[in-house]
Formats: sequence, C-alpha cells, structure tokens
Amino acid sequence: MMMPLSRTLETLLTLQDALEIAQNTDFFDNATTSRGVYPPVNIFEKNRDLVFVVELPGVKKEDLNIEVKGNTLRLSGERSIAYGKKTSYHRIERNAFKFDRTIRLPNKVESDRVKAEYKEGLLVIMLPCAESEKPKKIAIQ
Amino acid sequence: MGNETKEVVKTEKQKPEKTEYAGERTVQGKYYIPATDIVETEKSLIVAMDVPGVKKENVSIMLENNVLEVDAKIDFSPYDNLNPVYTEYNVGHYTRKFTVSNIVDTEKIDAILSDGVLTLTLPKVPEAQPRKIQIG
Repeated sequence: MMMPLSRTLETLLTLQDALEIAQNTDFFDNATTSRGVYPPVNIFEKNRDLVFVVELPGVKKEDLNIEVKGNTLRLSGERSIAYGKKTSYHRIERNAFKFDRTIRLPNKVESDRVKAEYKEGLLVIMLPCAESEKPKKIAIQ
Repeated sequence: MGNETKEVVKTEKQKPEKTEYAGERTVQGKYYIPATDIVETEKSLIVAMDVPGVKKENVSIMLENNVLEVDAKIDFSPYDNLNPVYTEYNVGHYTRKFTVSNIVDTEKIDAILSDGVLTLTLPKVPEAQPRKIQIG
C-alpha cells in the first residue's frame, strides 16, 4: 500500500516527539512502556488515589477494555467510523483507530475497588491506593 | 536526571493533540477547534465533530446569515479537587464555524450528541437532491 508523503512525515514526527518526551519526564522513571502512546492520558491524584482521565470521543463502551494487574494499567479498544454507503467526503479529520496502551502505576492499587466510568466521550478511572502502600502513623510509646 | 529535586507536577512537551482557536473569546479559558468530518449523502450533509467531555446542555448551535456556529463548553468543576501529577493533553472549550450554502434546508437541521461526538444532520432542499431523469 502506498503511503502519502504527508503521512510518512507525520509518522516520523510522532516518533521524534515520543523520543523527546521519553527524555523529558521522570514520572515513569525508567519504565520501558507508557510514554507518548495513544490515547493521551491525564493523571490526577486525590488523597493518594489515582484518577486517570482519557479523552476517547466516539469509542463505544463495549469496545473499551480496562485491565489492572499488579501495578500496571492496560487500556485497549478501538474506534470505528462509518457513514454508510453512497457518501462523498468533503473533509476528513477524525480517524478510526485501535489502541493498546499499558501504563505503569507509581504504586500498587486496590484492584477490586477500581472504578471506571465512560461518559460524554471521557473515560475516568479511579484507582484507590493499596492499603499496604499507605503511610502508617507510628505512635510514640 | 541531574536535578537534585524532582518536580512533582510535570507537563509534557508534546505535539498538541488539539488545535487551539486563534480568535479572541469573551469567556475565560482555552478554546480548541474540534476535529470534524463533513460527509455528503444523497439527502443531507453530515457534520461530525469530536467534543469529548462536553455535556448536552453546554452545547450551543447558532445559525445566522448562513453561518453555522458551534460552541461547546467544558464543565471544569469535576477537576476542582484533583491534583494533576502527569498530563498529556489540555482541556478546553470547543468552537467552530461553517458557512452553509443555500442547498441546505436550514429549518430542519438536527443535532445529536453521543459519546463525545456531536453529529449535525443538514438536510438538503428537495431541489438539490439528485433526481433520476427518465427518457420520455
């Protein structure tokens, strides 16, 4: 299959960006996964619990897979775009895609209590911090 | 990393996922241009745009002098108690304008918001729809 020139350049630039990002962050320390991969995530913290927010417009709930194992979170799924037959295109900016991203978490999570909700094209995953990871207060005798 | 102290909050230098709207707005906050598909079928034009995180009640669609303006606002209140630790994309409102030609029946424009995708259906006036011409 022929690739248009602009697409090739785009691929190279994306790769370069991913490499640059890999050098400029220390959030994931020396993990080999996680950076600069689709979909982009925003990670928030609230009382030591992690909240992941991912923008996935047009992805159907049933096409989304979320797995938590140890201290990794895996997001996978796909978005398909179909306008039916007998259509002509004026402008195409939205892409159909498949994604599979594994993110290493900075701490262990309570995997039974992980909650995820998908609303208005926004996936929100709440990962409660494992009790074993929480700091313990030590009383002075 | 040579730095002795680690910064907790990191904002990634990354190719922007979204295109920022260049014009000046009266509302505070960033504005982005949503990725949009425009597709023509026999009976109508379909405009689909990605507006993740926008609630139905915060979308305004205005048609004035053949210009269709879509303005979709984000509700930032769920982010209030959250402390960002790692970010890869920015969040903002969405806006985009389209000039609609007179083949569109402006009275019958229909809009649906589902899973963060706003789909507008602009039906064509009957005169603009394709017709098969029979040989008499």
